[in-house]
Amino acid sequence: MIEFKNVSKVYDNGSVALDQVSLHIGKGEFVFVVGASGAGKSTLIRLLSHEELPTEGSVLVNGIEVNRLAKKSVPYLRRKMGIVFQDFRLLPNKTAQENVAFAMEVIEAPRRVIRRRVREVLDLVGLIGKADALPKNLSGGEQQRVAIARAIVNRPLLLIADEPTGNLDPDTSEDIVEVFKKINHMGTTVLMVTHDKTLVDMMNKRVIELDDGKVVRDEQRGGYDDEN
Amino acid sequence: MKIRTMHYYTVAAFQSFWRNRFMSVASIATVAISLFILGIFMTLVANLDYFVENLESQVEITVYLKDGATQADIDSVGHRLQALPDVKSVTFTDKNQAMDILKERMKDQPGILDALEGKNPLPSSYEVTFTQPEAVRRTADIVADYPEVEGTHYGQEIIEQLFKITTIIRWGGIALIIFLTLAMLFIISNTIRLTVFARRKEIAIMKYVGATNWFIRWPFLLEGLFLGFIGGVIADIALYQFYDFAVTSIHQSLAFLPMVSVYPFMYRTAGVLLIISMVIGAIGSTISLKRYMKV
Repeated sequence: MIEFKNVSKVYDNGSVALDQVSLHIGKGEFVFVVGASGAGKSTLIRLLSHEELPTEGSVLVNGIEVNRLAKKSVPYLRRKMGIVFQDFRLLPNKTAQENVAFAMEVIEAPRRVIRRRVREVLDLVGLIGKADALPKNLSGGEQQRVAIARAIVNRPLLLIADEPTGNLDPDTSEDIVEVFKKINHMGTTVLMVTHDKTLVDMMNKRVIELDDGKVVRDEQRGGYDDEN
Repeated sequence: MKIRTMHYYTVAAFQSFWRNRFMSVASIATVAISLFILGIFMTLVANLDYFVENLESQVEITVYLKDGATQADIDSVGHRLQALPDVKSVTFTDKNQAMDILKERMKDQPGILDALEGKNPLPSSYEVTFTQPEAVRRTADIVADYPEVEGTHYGQEIIEQLFKITTIIRWGGIALIIFLTLAMLFIISNTIRLTVFARRKEIAIMKYVGATNWFIRWPFLLEGLFLGFIGGVIADIALYQFYDFAVTSIHQSLAFLPMVSVYPFMYRTAGVLLIISMVIGAIGSTISLKRYMKV
């Protein structure tokens, strides 16, 4: 699903974000990416979505070499992945279901398909009762559920989450991770960047730890800070 | 493109227009005023061209004969003039007739002619008119080489002077066009920039969920086209009214002054201005989008 081959990323200001990173993440995996701030976690995500290009090496998503992709093909790459952010990034003047539908409208899906699919994913994230609420009337956890619904509405192969629980309290965070788990069970690869030790330990999934741009740990059933 | 998508674009464009209504109105006003000034220049140049052309078609050549010309010479020149192409009429003025005309014109100041002491310095001449205005200059050049001919005169000084004025106005107009175009581009791109800024979250989300660049671009392009179009229409209406009024009032006070008639000239000018305004609208919005389209 995802393959990093000797990937390095040096920004224009000379800071090295990734240093010779090689990774393989299979289809249907659930992977945590952990590490201190500035360890290169965000860069990893930006390389996947073609927001940044690697200085060296190659990045493959679903067999496509992202760093060699023509500019006009980038939107079609992004349709294969859903991205969830720490700050939700919902449109404040649209209701929950309009926010979700927006992701389908901009790729010009037929209206009937949109209506059915939006209800389906709102149901999946447990928000069907709040479909018509505006973001400001939803709790943080609910807003993040809307964001997750929007990320998966176009049936991506890969769901990327950048600190999805960073703004949420521990109980809500657990609920949110349960949602990710559910989506993962349905076959979607999940890549979650997080600082949340409790979540990582609780889930007992594969953990990749970055430090100073290098992979320092890659464990199949790891905790947040296992040393062995 | 799907109809629903077009609907989305249109709604988005009008929303932006309304959200930034102050800047929108300012852009429309700038476009309208700039294009109106542009239109005035186009009208001025067109009329000057028309005037010069008109004048040229009316000119006749005066062929002055040498003082010692015999009657045979005079007749021979007359025949040769008649035989030239595109000549309409040839009229002979004897040097004594010319003197009579001068005396008649100067009868209020008799002292001046006394200075001639009864001599007649005026040459005999032929007045030649033409069926084709283009024949004037050509004929004047041929006739000037006749041995019996002293010189020719056809008001070339006036025409050349007018050509000079038209050239100056034309260049001034081009400089003004460049300046006004930049002003229009500046204000339209700034207005669209506000819109883009207001929608930056939306744009970012669109990019993340895989909207194509053209899908994102269209609403802004439409807004720019719309601003340009409205400005252009206002300028067109103002210019039409202005020119219509100018033609009517000039015909009343200066009836001899030839002017390009309102139709079809105004329609063509209006069309050109409208196209310019929309092109500028489109370019203006593209400029301000460029920075936000990366991600």
